[in-house]
Amino acid sequence: MVAQPDSDVLWARALTHAHNGSPALRGVSIGVREGEILAVSGPRGSGKTTLLRCLSGQFRPQEGEVWFNSTPVHTMAPLIRERLRRDRFGWIDPEPVLVPELTAWENAALPLMLRGAGRRAAKKAALEWLERLDIGAGARKRPHALLHSERQRVVVARALAGTPTVLFADEPTAPLHRAERAHVLRTLATAARSHGITVVLATHDADTAELADRTVTLLDGRQVNTIHLPHASEAEGRTACSLSV
Amino acid sequence: MLALRLARGALPTVQLRRLLVTAASGGTGFLLLCVLGHALTHPEAPAQSALRLAWCAVPLAATVYFAVTVARTDPGTRPRPGLSAIGLGPGRLMAVSALTTALCSVLGSLLALVLFLYLRGEPARAPFEGDAARSLAPGVPLPLPAALTLLSLVPASMSLAVALTLRPVGQGRWRALAAGRGPLGTRRAGAGGKRRADTAGTAVPGRGRRTEAARHASRRHARTGARRGGNGSHALSTVLDSRDPAFAPADAPGADQDPYASGTPRNAPGGLPWGVAVLALGLMVEAYASRSDSPSGLVVPGGFANGSAGVLAGWLLTALGLVLAGPALTHLCGWLLQAVQPGALRLLAGRVLQEEARRIGRPLGVLCAVASGAFTLGTVYSGTSGTRSSVGPFTVLGGLLVIGCTALTLAIVATEARDSRAHTTAALVRIGAPATMLRSAALLRAGALLALFGPLTLAVAALAAAPLAG
Repeated sequence: MVAQPDSDVLWARALTHAHNGSPALRGVSIGVREGEILAVSGPRGSGKTTLLRCLSGQFRPQEGEVWFNSTPVHTMAPLIRERLRRDRFGWIDPEPVLVPELTAWENAALPLMLRGAGRRAAKKAALEWLERLDIGAGARKRPHALLHSERQRVVVARALAGTPTVLFADEPTAPLHRAERAHVLRTLATAARSHGITVVLATHDADTAELADRTVTLLDGRQVNTIHLPHASEAEGRTACSLSV
Repeated sequence: MLALRLARGALPTVQLRRLLVTAASGGTGFLLLCVLGHALTHPEAPAQSALRLAWCAVPLAATVYFAVTVARTDPGTRPRPGLSAIGLGPGRLMAVSALTTALCSVLGSLLALVLFLYLRGEPARAPFEGDAARSLAPGVPLPLPAALTLLSLVPASMSLAVALTLRPVGQGRWRALAAGRGPLGTRRAGAGGKRRADTAGTAVPGRGRRTEAARHASRRHARTGARRGGNGSHALSTVLDSRDPAFAPADAPGADQDPYASGTPRNAPGGLPWGVAVLALGLMVEAYASRSDSPSGLVVPGGFANGSAGVLAGWLLTALGLVLAGPALTHLCGWLLQAVQPGALRLLAGRVLQEEARRIGRPLGVLCAVASGAFTLGTVYSGTSGTRSSVGPFTVLGGLLVIGCTALTLAIVATEARDSRAHTTAALVRIGAPATMLRSAALLRAGALLALFGPLTLAVAALAAAPLAG
């Protein structure tokens, strides 16, 4: 086994995982350096989400290893993995999943409060991040009163407010328009760089991947260097379907 | 056949619920048959038998309530995109639901009949001895049409109630009338109708505008209803209106495009003043009646001492008051939980309780009413030890049925509330919320409800029992 470089905060070796028999990951090895933004790209169904979930300890990979700061994640007890997620990791869902009963700032402060931070400190940090993401005005609103993009920004604020060591973002900009997408991504990247947060970003969008320091491409659960998807030939079918004028 | 196949493929917990429905309907059917037996052995006192029959309305109501809750929360008969794509929309699913309920309750009624015949010693064996067995009228030939008519009462009322509750119209006729619209005009419009239409995947483009207008109208109506707050029509309409959004199968797949639309906070349920008023009135009526009335009139079967029509009316009013006040009290409980500088635990526990107040509050109120009634009965029976105070087995059976049905209803509704929040809970787990905290939030909620409703029930029961025992 090759020793991993010291700069890798998170690394995985030969990850294999299947959902109820259908394979999602087939032997993916990946290393994430401290403070970098790593994009995991690939088309839908290529195993990006599964990889992120394995790395963040939500799934226990069926084969392979996940190490975080020289601690094995794949052998951890569920409770310790839960605490690891709470204290060290952040997570952004593709769809904004907030607690509908709590206001925006309470949602954003929730991870801090779950860690046992005082209410006042948690509120201050949450409001600060909400302000930075341009939703300070909606801090006292409930999720139902916010726009979809605002909700997603609250989710980003929630993930950043805890200043995690590693932030996993699973298609964080999927529900957003392009202008909002750029804004959220810029904030995410700036926050990551200024606070030294390592980001693992799953995306199928080339523009989003450009923001990253490095890109790992998955295809059908395998790591590939370049994608050669068979392009549909231009002429074939087009003529058959064209309106004959 | 489809109903059978859908019923067969359900989860074990759902099957268990249906089994409980079967048991409840069987118990109620058995009670009805016992009344028939009493009537057969006491042809000289038809009034007493009629009174016993009237008392069977309480277990019957509890059973129907339970069956409706089970049918409503049954995941098998919820609108599903896969089924509505092949034309099995909400209408047919309602029929399937009613049929499943009918199957369960007919089975239960048949079991009750078999048990009844067995206890009577029908297929040529010695009947059971004893006081209670005399109610089964051994030796007297059983009029089969009468027995079957009585037995069909339970399945018929259950299926009818299920069909009415799950019928796929937008707003009930009464709500439409109250909103100043005709009974026929916008039957399929309104918020519920829109949702059902979306669910069924039959969003006809031409109907969009009308539905939109109707939705605005219904929202306006809801606002006025909310502004009227705690006035009687609102409180009563929320009691009577089983089509409340909290009762609709909210987490039907594709029901709402916006997952937060169902999480829109509604105003605090406003039944508290009316609930308290009705409760106080009930207690007063009861105290007055038990002081002034002669010990005649309506008597609880099994020899309930000194019961009178006034006392009964007082009890009913008390129960109604508890049911009316239930949601508001639950909401209050949640508000108190998250009141001063809440941390994550109290915040989650309290806010969720506030949100679920409408769903959970009413069964909780019903359970409280039943519990306080049972407590009062117990006090009265133990207080008047002597003459006719022994509780008959049929009273015990009826009481167990009522308590069991209401408690199970509350449990099912609580499970439903938990299931409807599964999405949020999963997200909380993803960000690392400890499972122990989620569990302790649930415990905290249960504890808070117990701390509020337990003493309330005891107090109401003690107040109700005081004039009777004295």
